[in-house]
Amino acid sequence: MRALKDEGVKFIFGYPGGAALHIYDAIFKQKAFEHILVRHEQGATHAADGYSRATGKPGVALVTSGPGATNAITGLATAYMDSIPLIVISGQVQSHLIGTDSFQETDMIGISRPIVKHSFVVHDTKDIPRIVQEAFYIATSGRPGPVVIDIPKDKTDPNHLYDYKREKKVSIRSYQPKALPHPGQIKKASKNILSAERPVIYAGGGVILGNAHKELMALNKILKVPVTNTLMGLGSYPANNKYFMGMLGMHGTYQANMAMHNADLIIAIGARFDDRITNTPALFAPKARIIHIDVDPASISKIINADIPIVGQVKESLTALIKEIKRSKLKMDSDALDLWNSQIATWRAKHGLDHELYLKKTKSKMILPQVVVQELYQATNGNAWVTSDVGQHQMFVAQYYHFNKPRRWINSGGLGTMGFGLPAAMGAKLAYPKDEVVCVTGEGSIQMCIQELSTCLQYNLPIKIININNEALGMVKQWQDMNYGGRHSESTYQDSLPDFVKLAESYGHVGIKVEKNSDLKNALEKAFSMKDRLVFVDVYVDPAEHVYPMLVANNSLEDMWLSKDKKT
Amino acid sequence: MIKRKLILIMENKPGALVRVVGLFHQRGYNIESLHVDPVDDFSSYKFIEEKLETKFKENEISRLTIQTLVSDSLMRQILRQLNKLIDVIAVSNEETTYLKGVLLDENLL
Repeated sequence: MRALKDEGVKFIFGYPGGAALHIYDAIFKQKAFEHILVRHEQGATHAADGYSRATGKPGVALVTSGPGATNAITGLATAYMDSIPLIVISGQVQSHLIGTDSFQETDMIGISRPIVKHSFVVHDTKDIPRIVQEAFYIATSGRPGPVVIDIPKDKTDPNHLYDYKREKKVSIRSYQPKALPHPGQIKKASKNILSAERPVIYAGGGVILGNAHKELMALNKILKVPVTNTLMGLGSYPANNKYFMGMLGMHGTYQANMAMHNADLIIAIGARFDDRITNTPALFAPKARIIHIDVDPASISKIINADIPIVGQVKESLTALIKEIKRSKLKMDSDALDLWNSQIATWRAKHGLDHELYLKKTKSKMILPQVVVQELYQATNGNAWVTSDVGQHQMFVAQYYHFNKPRRWINSGGLGTMGFGLPAAMGAKLAYPKDEVVCVTGEGSIQMCIQELSTCLQYNLPIKIININNEALGMVKQWQDMNYGGRHSESTYQDSLPDFVKLAESYGHVGIKVEKNSDLKNALEKAFSMKDRLVFVDVYVDPAEHVYPMLVANNSLEDMWLSKDKKT
Repeated sequence: MIKRKLILIMENKPGALVRVVGLFHQRGYNIESLHVDPVDDFSSYKFIEEKLETKFKENEISRLTIQTLVSDSLMRQILRQLNKLIDVIAVSNEETTYLKGVLLDENLL
């Protein structure tokens, strides 16, 4: 407990059980932090993860051995894929029982090994302070990630007292996460940038994790070049800035994908050229030289070869780059850059997203999911912390909710974990109780962690849930429409959905059902007027709607579906 | 694809070896042969001790020799991924040595 307190922990999300009972007894006797009792261990890990994404501080989850530990696995994998600092403490059976198939025994270290940055087993009680300190250090430094601490029950026996000792500074000789950018590489990068004619900044989640959004803005105040964000990078550059092109990739905007494909220089910052970004790597950005800034050397030239690799923390690297560009005698060709920026404006005008769908009169009573997101943006003035689950609704938020600040967009990008949204919103709400926290979800995803509605009641977490209900697994259905002749294999369940209004009410919350366009705005206003209540807004939308643009598989970034029957 | 040799120096801690072997499996690399020894004679690793400002003690570190069948580009990726493991101190192939993110001229081979 004291080790956790010394790390500045405010909340622990957990679920008790036999092997963790000594720890839980100690929690009962302390006041340094609050324990949040979730209803499923997956919820604990996602809530801790959401807290971490919202605050930048490591989230902490506590689970028992066996099923408690295995239920935490999805949350660990989610955090691992998005490089989120998360500490999962798992109880373990007593040391002398390990390996005997005893009750609730699972090899947690073995199961979690491929999805953690590192893991520790407590072999000796007096190692606990050192291990906790090292775990937090590893989780938060370099490229962040989840760390597991597995503690056999006998190692938390309150009768085993020891002298608590905390080191002033953690140092692990086989772990040196501080990476400063190589000055030669910075010079080379600056030279390439200043002689480029069609440059693009491609910024990812690393900018947010590395708290470098200010440096990114400062860089582009000088350069004035088009910027695109990955799904994880949204908010690292203000969406309302005129150089912002929107998200790129699978469901990226037309102008962002076209700009990447036609660029002569790509400045990749804290992004990892994921397959949802590149489409076919061999056909990716054929005319571009690549500058790649990343704290993790293994991310550089993993998928797309970098012409100028820069290994370093994003903040330090951008600061050095800005300094070098200011010092340089070279000047960008402003005519070429104007031409490039106007080319992007042309692309935007031709096939860009329509951000004013909500203002248009429509004869259809059916609500468009895009309009729900646009109305949500209006209702929250763009200031909400928005979590999402996974599927069409997630893409609609990424496309239509303009994130102007970092960390406000909280979603499972890498792993694509359905069920993430609600518990993540709990973490964000605990971190920022006065702010509006919204979970945009679908009727499929929400049912994967719906039990956490009970946790929200217990701790009075007035989150707003916007359920974009198309009565189907929308993204699966879209793929089936496009690639499987419209055969909706196991992706629909219209006749067996719960009444979400009654469901919310049974958990002590407020439920609102919306079926008509004309009711949407009022329903959202009503929901946000109830400051102290969790409101579940169940919005029935047009089930036939697809997410566009969508990259055409096995092609390049300029090959997109723009609608059901139109391709670039 | 050519058979290539890798040498790793790592902390002699429980679970360290399985992290290395697991990484090969997880990322789809193949191990042709593997050999592990505890290191007691540190005379050839003085350069590591100097760079890390540490002194190795008896039974503290192990030396792994791994042979693997891979292409050039994959070899680089394997080196970088191995170098990321917390318990791995240094890793070399014929051309390159990584010591926790730093490229070295010295080689473990």
